[in-house]
Amino acid sequence: MHHDYLDRFSRLDSPIHRTPAGVKLACALLLLLTTILVPISRGELFGAIALVLLAITAASRVPPIFLARRLLILEPFVVGVAVLSLLQPGGSAIFFKLVARGTLCLFTVLLLSSTTPFSEILRVFGKLRFPPILITMLALMYRYVFVLVDEAERMSRARASRTFRHDRFRAWRTGAGIIGQLFVRSTTRAERIYAAMCARGWKT
Amino acid sequence: MHIPDGFLDTKTAAATAGLAVISVGFAARSVRKTLPSSKVPLLGLTAAFVFAAQMLNFPVAGGTSGHLLGGVLAGVLLGPSAGVLVLTSALIVQCLVFADGGLLAIGANVFNMGIVGTAGAYGIYWLVRRYAKGLRGQLAAAAFASWCSVVLASTACAAELAFSGTVRWGVAFPAMAGIHMLIGVGEATITTLVLVAIANTRPDLLQDETRRSAALRYSEVIVYGMLIAVGLALLVSPFASPWPDGLEKVGENLGFLGKTAGKPLAQAPIPDYSIPGIGSPAVATALAGALGTIVMFVFAFFLARLVTPKRVGDPQPPTS
Amino acid sequence: MNTLEVVHLSFGYANGVNALSDVSFTVAEGDCVGLIGPNGAGKSTLMMHLNGLLPNKMGAEASIRVFGEPICPRNLDRIRRDVGLLFQNPDDQLFCPTVFEDVTFGPRQFGWGDNDVKAAATRALEQVGLPGYGPRSPHHLSHGEKRRVCIAGLLACAPRVLLLDEPTSDLDPRGRRELKTLLKQLPVTKVIASHDLEMIAELCSRVLILDEGRLVREGPAYELLNDEALMLEHGLERPHCLQRTTSAIE
Repeated sequence: MHHDYLDRFSRLDSPIHRTPAGVKLACALLLLLTTILVPISRGELFGAIALVLLAITAASRVPPIFLARRLLILEPFVVGVAVLSLLQPGGSAIFFKLVARGTLCLFTVLLLSSTTPFSEILRVFGKLRFPPILITMLALMYRYVFVLVDEAERMSRARASRTFRHDRFRAWRTGAGIIGQLFVRSTTRAERIYAAMCARGWKT
Repeated sequence: MHIPDGFLDTKTAAATAGLAVISVGFAARSVRKTLPSSKVPLLGLTAAFVFAAQMLNFPVAGGTSGHLLGGVLAGVLLGPSAGVLVLTSALIVQCLVFADGGLLAIGANVFNMGIVGTAGAYGIYWLVRRYAKGLRGQLAAAAFASWCSVVLASTACAAELAFSGTVRWGVAFPAMAGIHMLIGVGEATITTLVLVAIANTRPDLLQDETRRSAALRYSEVIVYGMLIAVGLALLVSPFASPWPDGLEKVGENLGFLGKTAGKPLAQAPIPDYSIPGIGSPAVATALAGALGTIVMFVFAFFLARLVTPKRVGDPQPPTS
Repeated sequence: MNTLEVVHLSFGYANGVNALSDVSFTVAEGDCVGLIGPNGAGKSTLMMHLNGLLPNKMGAEASIRVFGEPICPRNLDRIRRDVGLLFQNPDDQLFCPTVFEDVTFGPRQFGWGDNDVKAAATRALEQVGLPGYGPRSPHHLSHGEKRRVCIAGLLACAPRVLLLDEPTSDLDPRGRRELKTLLKQLPVTKVIASHDLEMIAELCSRVLILDEGRLVREGPAYELLNDEALMLEHGLERPHCLQRTTSAIE
């Protein structure tokens, strides 16, 4: 239940939300392409792209605080890769521009995922003739990711409540044990899901 | 090592996307032919499982912690093609739902982690497995293959960054590969420990694998091998050439969009590191890599010996 | 013609566990039958047989007939439409990304047109008291809501029989009350496997007692549930609601 940041705002009513998922996906790709094609020397164009993104944010009625917080959480991944540029001569000038470009792209994808329910994206994939087995996997994965994450969290909490000594080796061993248990439980759960699918007439 | 958007240029993104599409299409066909329909929910759930497993913290030092990638784990448990699909699904959901990893870069991420890190590393697992028998052999093979998966995936990642002109190969490769040779030890350890944990409760889940790996389909070996070879050759070829700025030449010759987009951001005539006593930095890198690989190979068997349970638990009928 | 007819059913799992031994009973149209017994008695296994989910390795004289027809690959589709099975864990049964997709899963499999599918889903959601829940994601729902969505998914297929495996387990008192009211209103034939003996006493006219795979007793619910010795013998107990009534009489 605390994963409610997922899909929290993906079903609001706004001009952005009403746009079909395929169109949004195409526009996101276009924006990303534009951002990437801007030469690193013409940084001022980044400002223009940022304005476009902010305009879309405003139109989407998604609370900016929510987006800002998620952006902050994901930013380290951008910075982490950009840091590599610091290792080469003349890197620091490029570093900031890389971070700027990466952040703009990140924000674009963030906007896309915040305004589009994943099941609609899956429908677009279906129309794009993705392999059907992949689409089934994606749907199941999306549905059960948090069931499994919750299960893993419960097992971690149980582990923590019986950890009296902070021993790194033991932590690795029990962590691996949790992952192993998670897989074993997933196999039995998968069998039950298969039974449930067959019970409602599923034919491959 | 999910690459965010903004670090790869269009030609790299397009090339890796093409390779990824072919690989995933092939994997889907392969799975449909070999997997019974009763296992389809298991594929979806394993994808969710890989995602959940990637979130678990393994404390390293100070406040840092390591995480599992899971490519070899998925491959050992379900087979290489299923593993490819599982990792690809995880990467797609991570990108489109959690904005982790770029959208244009998804082809590259799938190629690195889903193909090289899963199918490619599984090939290494399979090779070692032919000569190392029993549970201990399986664990050693998985350990070594997991290490390779992380190192190879990071190498491909560095190659992509260099091919895009974002970071020079001479900087990206040692940094990425170097760090990941260490991270790989963590991956090997975690993968091995997880397999041991599964062997203790449900050894039958690992035994399916034994039958399957013996019957690895030649089509899989050929297709994945070719795709990985093509990909790596394409990405690494400018740096294999004797001219340090071979990237620019390649970019011009191939005439991809915007010379400015493909222009290296910083140039130096020679990469600036060397090992004392060894003249050429390239040879030094190769030696360091070879040494690391051999050490890891030996360590893998030592690790397997350490963690293999003295007596694997009797299989219990699953409770309803 | 009986709605459900089971004759000499025996079944063992691949790992050698014998789940059912020589079970025979019938269920008439409109019946509400309770299936009770201790853990491991074979209740879930029996339910899965009635829906055609378990293989037909039942024994030479065994037969399962649904509306007079034996279960075979030819009529499996129709049987699964007519006999809806509610699984014990709603998370196993709610496997689609949105409520609407899940409720329409059955009708779509059975090849109905888009409009019919949508109408059936809307009707079913209203019937379970969750109108407008279509676009929601299952992982945001409460346990009781998930269970009701699962029932909606079954109702959307217009079943003639409902098999319910532990429908009130893990529900809070309000969820339990709402579910009981819902079940009372559904006019279909029902077989309810449950440890919730109060609910069984309230809803069911007949009761089957299963223990270690055997059908040990069957008969009127009030009579069997009131038999304290019988209940205790098979790992059960007399429901409190009946205890109060009898002591009031005494």
